[in-house]
Amino acid sequence: MAFGLELIFLTIIVLAVLGIAAYIVSIYNGLVRLKNDIKKAWANIDVLLKQRSDELPKLIESVKGYMKHEREVLTSLTKARTEFLKAKSMSEKAAADGMISQALKSIFAVAENYPQLKASENFIQLQNRISGLENELADRREFYNDSANEFNIRIESFPDTIIAGMMGLRQPAEMFKVAEEEKKDVEVKF
Amino acid sequence: MAEGDIFVYAIVGFFAGLYFFYKGFGWLNRKRLIENTPTSKIRSIAMGLVEVYGEALPAFGKILKSPLSAKDCVYYKYKIEEYRRAGKHSTWVTVKEGAEGIPFFLRDETGAVLVDPNGCDADIPQDFQFQSGTNKDPPASIRQFLAKNDMSFEGFLGINKTMKYAEYYIAPKDKLFIMGNAGDNPYVEEATGTENAADIMIQKGDKNKFYYISDRSEKKVLKDLGTKTFLGIYGGAALTVICLAVMLGYLGML
Repeated sequence: MAFGLELIFLTIIVLAVLGIAAYIVSIYNGLVRLKNDIKKAWANIDVLLKQRSDELPKLIESVKGYMKHEREVLTSLTKARTEFLKAKSMSEKAAADGMISQALKSIFAVAENYPQLKASENFIQLQNRISGLENELADRREFYNDSANEFNIRIESFPDTIIAGMMGLRQPAEMFKVAEEEKKDVEVKF
Repeated sequence: MAEGDIFVYAIVGFFAGLYFFYKGFGWLNRKRLIENTPTSKIRSIAMGLVEVYGEALPAFGKILKSPLSAKDCVYYKYKIEEYRRAGKHSTWVTVKEGAEGIPFFLRDETGAVLVDPNGCDADIPQDFQFQSGTNKDPPASIRQFLAKNDMSFEGFLGINKTMKYAEYYIAPKDKLFIMGNAGDNPYVEEATGTENAADIMIQKGDKNKFYYISDRSEKKVLKDLGTKTFLGIYGGAALTVICLAVMLGYLGML
């Protein structure tokens, strides 16, 4: 009789140990995946930032003939692009991204004053391409922030926080913040 | 029920419990993977494992007819079972099952992407069910399908067999939650798709085998997986222990 009970207790203990081990492995793998997903989400933003940056010289070239009196707008875009190319860290790139977005908004808004420019096929194509990239960037920033938020919640929630601590994952992921200037509407002077 | 039967059921229950205990962790991993993956907007999906939500639309004017109910669809799976008796026991036996899909577009408010449903784990509810038997012939669409596959709903002396027909399909305009691998569309040369959306296709991945399509929302999918996980892990463990106790009791070891 005692052997039978012992066998039942042993089975319960084995199942409990297996269950806990499998649960820990599941948390560990989940955290590794989340950490890598954030890196991948950032890399996916970086690809688009680079593509957009490559389009900017073409845009400047196509508008500069028309916008002779808008030197300030064009200079701000060139400066923002230079900042982006110099940027190394994520926060630097995010800041330069904000500056570029703001400068682009200004250029497209000012372009409203130049009917010939607005009718230029080259300009229309570039505007569509850059607007498309801007939309994709907005989606990917949102995706990145969702991934970072999920990671931050996990590393602070119980029991994941224990495993995260053992893995050295204590630092919350940085969120992609929109620069204050980018939230403002573009002022167009007629 | 004979005493010997209890012992046999206990052995079956013991292994079933272990199976569900193991399966429970698979469901837990799947639940965590879905929870941890944010939903992408279709216009900006990146290559690799993606989670998207949108409406199914036929691609390139192609559409399938579901085999049993002859409905328009882009994916279907079906199962035909027959009720068979052997001595004292009787059971439902699967006599034919299958699945087929054609690439379709999934569209959300930002764009569309091509999806190849072949090889997916389709978690869709039953859309059609019929049971034929004595004095109950199956409808024409089923009879046609059976004839095409050299099968019959009639048995000895032309008496109808008891058969069950179940069909699941994804119809155009169904809202779908999809988690799969976004990669190059193998059917077109890169960047030559007539629509941009045709250059990328969501499909079963070579490395990441997880490919899941459901017509429920992510919230419902997660709730269902949560229940399965709980029942699998705790229910499986409880079933294993109870069945072990029954076996030991039968053997006089308790």
